Amino acid sequence: MNIFELMMEYIKEGRVKIDREKFAGKLATVHDPCNYGRKSEKAFGKAYYDEIRWITDQICDTWVDTYPTRENNFCCGAGGGAWAMPYTNERLYYGRKKAEQIEQTGAEIVVAPCHNCRDQIMKALTKEYDLEIETFYLWELLAEAIIVEPWSEEEVEKAHAEAEAQWEHFGVELDDDWEPPE
Amino acid sequence: MSQEPIKLGKRESKLRVDPKWADVCLTCGTCAGGCPVTGVDGMDPRKAVRMAALGLDDELINSRFPWVCTLCGRCERACPMGVEILAMMRTARGLRERDKVPGPIHKGTMMSMERGNNLGIPYDDWLFLLADMSKEMEDEGFPGFYVPVDKVGARVISTVNSKEPFGEPDDMKFWWKIYYAAHESWTVSSENWEGVTWGLFGGDDESMKEQARRVLENARKVKAEVLLLPE
Repeated sequence: MNIFELMMEYIKEGRVKIDREKFAGKLATVHDPCNYGRKSEKAFGKAYYDEIRWITDQICDTWVDTYPTRENNFCCGAGGGAWAMPYTNERLYYGRKKAEQIEQTGAEIVVAPCHNCRDQIMKALTKEYDLEIETFYLWELLAEAIIVEPWSEEEVEKAHAEAEAQWEHFGVELDDDWEPPE
Repeated sequence: MSQEPIKLGKRESKLRVDPKWADVCLTCGTCAGGCPVTGVDGMDPRKAVRMAALGLDDELINSRFPWVCTLCGRCERACPMGVEILAMMRTARGLRERDKVPGPIHKGTMMSMERGNNLGIPYDDWLFLLADMSKEMEDEGFPGFYVPVDKVGARVISTVNSKEPFGEPDDMKFWWKIYYAAHESWTVSSENWEGVTWGLFGGDDESMKEQARRVLENARKVKAEVLLLPE
């Protein structure tokens, strides 16, 4: 199963409830990652374009597509491992197309369903091309809009017992002054 | 001046390009026209295809172009003749001497083979981080939350992008919040939990297979129904 199918399952079955006020009044746009689009179609015979839009539609009142879109959408510029490679100027130059597309939509929110794409749009293109946008992972958008109801006492107790047994099994002891590793 | 002629053919070509490509590719330039890196280093996908068809394998393999290219596939999608530009570009990457692969792509792949994740996060640190962040989540309004590790019978097993525990651990909480709200039965692995396959980018098929095998082995061990790679 992929991220889209799992998120759609939770929403359709009512396992997560969405607060549509969370992003109300903000125009969103979606980015099609190459790996979920063109490359998924080639490798598995199925591209994921509708799914990204369906999920975004459940959360945001208003969103628009970029042009071009779907199978002709532009790569963010960081695909193929480029985010990790030393060719920074080339990566930023590549991304000008994505930045133009985003700017033309007038969107304030960009939804990116891929780690590389999100990093490139959020940490590189926004600054380089002075974009006035906030970038979210698709699952971040959902997580931010979910109405969280705390578990019942019974569930919490059961989870505490499981957690305690698990950390004991792994020999993990948390000191009060312990800090996560850098 | 005598120079050996370049022999063309599937057997002679390192890129395994058939000479008929020279005819299949119409040099129409549709690929190059739609490629955002056309012009960088005076290259474009059309020229790369022509180099391969003409037997200039080493020149292409040793150039930056296959790495500046993001393997996005717009060129191939647009090609009226179905030239497999992406496969060629990735083969060219795979033929680069391993110690000359740019950036951490190859080193990360080797690290993943050795320690189970691209960034070499040690076993103990991983578990401590999860235990500590589980407590944090409870304080942030998710009573009863913890990260189940190697939990047999979990419905969903998820891989992790190592950049998150390494540099942006709070980003792991997005999925955790969704799982919490959905009352999902889920788990992550104590070892070999990496979800990012740098072998795909480096053209290293063997490492890619090994990484997939480990992820599947983890999923089978806990008898999960759903394997999620949240990339």
